[in-house]
Amino acid sequence: MASLIHCPHCGVRPKEEFTVRGDASVVRPDPEASDEAWHEYVHIRANPRGRTREHWQHVFGCRRFLVVERDTVTHEVYGVSDGSDVARGGGR
Amino acid sequence: MPFLSRHPLESKVDSGSSIRAVDHLEIPRSVEIVTVLSRQTDNATVIAGFAPAGDLVMRNVAPGEWLVLSHTDLPDSLQRRLAGLLTDIADVVDQSEGRVLLRLSGPNARRILAKGVAIDLDPSAFAVGQSANLRCGHVAVNFARSGENEFELVVFRSFTESLFEDLLVMGREFDLSYGFSSGLADPV
Repeated sequence: MASLIHCPHCGVRPKEEFTVRGDASVVRPDPEASDEAWHEYVHIRANPRGRTREHWQHVFGCRRFLVVERDTVTHEVYGVSDGSDVARGGGR
Repeated sequence: MPFLSRHPLESKVDSGSSIRAVDHLEIPRSVEIVTVLSRQTDNATVIAGFAPAGDLVMRNVAPGEWLVLSHTDLPDSLQRRLAGLLTDIADVVDQSEGRVLLRLSGPNARRILAKGVAIDLDPSAFAVGQSANLRCGHVAVNFARSGENEFELVVFRSFTESLFEDLLVMGREFDLSYGFSSGLADPV
């Protein structure tokens, strides 16, 4: 796993300071959406090879949720941004 | 009956090391600590509102969140003072009984801390006055550089003993000494 994460608030930190909170690319369906859509959203996850977007929480630092874009094969980190910025920008 | 607070390291430290070594872990007894919490967007307003209180130390925790330390205020007065300065901008909560300040100083302070802290401690990367939350060993602490070779750690009260023991082990090769001091104001 990527071992150094550049937290936008705290700087470069080891992965041990973070907790991975899952896929950041799934989009919450409309409340009236079908059961299949909700089932898909709540339970079904891919196990992708390559570039992924995940929620990481910096529990030992600023305690903020971050969106980490990284590669599951090469461990390269492409970018880290604050979760609230991502949500506000509609990138959720 | 008045509430009497007991320092969590009281029984552990006693009168401290008999000889003060060059590397010393100092435990100031009375430090007022409050948290200041605001909306992330009010960051600049809080820092500006904070400016008149010149003698206080402001430590970064997260966007819109700080720890404020004072060595001159009496219990509760720091909270009242700040709450007055930051009305409607931020929430101010007294943490003096909930957090403990430890100060590590000496020529080998960086080498001691490097055993538990995973950031670059070179002054070019972590300058004097800079602060952040990080992990020291297995404990989350607020970490600050208060001088070229002096660092201050603010830790949750219940983790103090554990962190203290870790620091002593980390400093054993340098004969790290330890002991209480009365407050932030007199670092001897």
